[in-house]
Amino acid sequence: MPLNKYTASAALAVLLFAGACDKGADPAPKSEAAKEAAGDATIASGLGDATKFAAAAKQSGLDATLAGPGPYTVLVPTDAAFDKMPAGALDTLMKPEGRAELTGILTYHILPGAMLAADIAKAIDAGNGKAVLATMAGGTLTATREGDTIVIADGAGTKARILGADEKKSNGVIHRIDAVLMPS
Amino acid sequence: MLKWMLAAGAAALAITAPVAAQKGGHGGGKEHGQQAKAQKGGGGQKADRGNRGGGQKADRGNRGGSQKAERSARGGGNDRMKARRQQFVQRDDHPSKGRGKSNVSHEDRGQGQAIKADRGNRGNDNVRMVQGNDRNRDVRVVRSDRDRDGFRFVPSWNDRGMVRGFADGCPPGLAKKGNGCMPPGLAKDIVGTRLPAALVGNMLAGPYRSWYRDNDDYFYRWDDDYIYRVDRGDGLINALFPYSNRDYYYYPVGMQYPDYYNYYNVPYQYQSYYPDGGDYWYRYGDGAIYQVNPSNGMISGIAALLTGDPFAVGQPLPMGYSTYNVPFDYRDRYYDTADNWYRYNDGYIYRVDPTTQLITAVINALV
Repeated sequence: MPLNKYTASAALAVLLFAGACDKGADPAPKSEAAKEAAGDATIASGLGDATKFAAAAKQSGLDATLAGPGPYTVLVPTDAAFDKMPAGALDTLMKPEGRAELTGILTYHILPGAMLAADIAKAIDAGNGKAVLATMAGGTLTATREGDTIVIADGAGTKARILGADEKKSNGVIHRIDAVLMPS
Repeated sequence: MLKWMLAAGAAALAITAPVAAQKGGHGGGKEHGQQAKAQKGGGGQKADRGNRGGGQKADRGNRGGSQKAERSARGGGNDRMKARRQQFVQRDDHPSKGRGKSNVSHEDRGQGQAIKADRGNRGNDNVRMVQGNDRNRDVRVVRSDRDRDGFRFVPSWNDRGMVRGFADGCPPGLAKKGNGCMPPGLAKDIVGTRLPAALVGNMLAGPYRSWYRDNDDYFYRWDDDYIYRVDRGDGLINALFPYSNRDYYYYPVGMQYPDYYNYYNVPYQYQSYYPDGGDYWYRYGDGAIYQVNPSNGMISGIAALLTGDPFAVGQPLPMGYSTYNVPFDYRDRYYDTADNWYRYNDGYIYRVDPTTQLITAVINALV
């Protein structure tokens, strides 16, 4: 019966459509108010050559956060920083079953508000050589100075150096770092 | 033919979007009126969000009604949801020994689950702030032990790659309770019940009081685990959701937002950014505002992150905020001086006394 064919194809079309909606979701804010607050030159659109961080943000759904109003200070590990992770670690995190953990790790790199390198340096100086930074993940990071470089340490003591600081965006600021920080 | 194709399309939607199955589009049946009403409440900020059309209401009704149908229809397949739900009450266990509290059990629900009136301070190493309510008698700790929440993800690697550990030894979905890993009761059964008298005085404190504001239609109260939205008309709880903000824990994209907490609960200051009734739902939970696909209830993105850190006037500046972090657009007005600091958190700018480190004012809401 031809009707079956039509109904089947219609059902399939709807199924495909429903699937596509979720998969390629546009991370841009949906409401006009949020769009306006986020601005055009967002952190999400300014990740540049940090392709692994960008892919991880997308995988975890945090691309919407980074395209949203914020503001956030984002410590973006370079691709080389991700390459320093233990073999297979990122691959594991990038699997669907690794999403929860991946989200926890990425949010450890996202800090509330907009902090320029000079702001962090000032806090380090005022704090007798170190400044504790709250993160969106809940844990804290510790900032210190090594010469002119600001070094960010995670809970386990892994250190990341800020390589490129103060990329101001419409919804915050990006600092590039040379290691992936891990919650502990 | 067109009719048949539409019908087929509807059937397909029913497959892909179980939440819309059976009772979709009719605002729910007899048992769903409560939830539909809860949705209509929209976080209790009706007066502030006067942009609801009839279509949105229909949408909300649809949601309220059919999710229960889907839940029951899934039967054994509901484990994952249960697992999520179970995680929410983990806060109840670890601090209990140290706090001099009186837990008042609510016995009307027949599930062995208690709404607890926590009157005590938690004896916990990681206490960051103590809040008092309006009556200055109800001392409680807001987000006292982020580092000791049971489900803290502890990633590590060995030769085989990443291995996972859980801080309290309980697997995901099972909260550490007393002498073992036990599931909590069912939160869904609380909706529609009367707010226990023991909770009537439990006003929200800290940032949560700004996030969830009492109004003419609703008021909010809380216990250790949940914030309850109560209808002033009938005194019944018409929404609840957990407010704990566990370290490193988020709902992963692609999972279904827990039915039991599927109420519009976006904190007040973010409601204009993330309104309900559009193409997406927005739900707050575990330090994030999630974007949820209404057609299937799946979390499709994380729209915003919140720290939930205990900022409130009169309280100490939480740890981790020694660095100036005011958004660029506000820096010409709110910059640090010898007399005042300014710090940003979760949509607000706070003024801080640098000497006492106490928060002295909420300066501005950004959103």
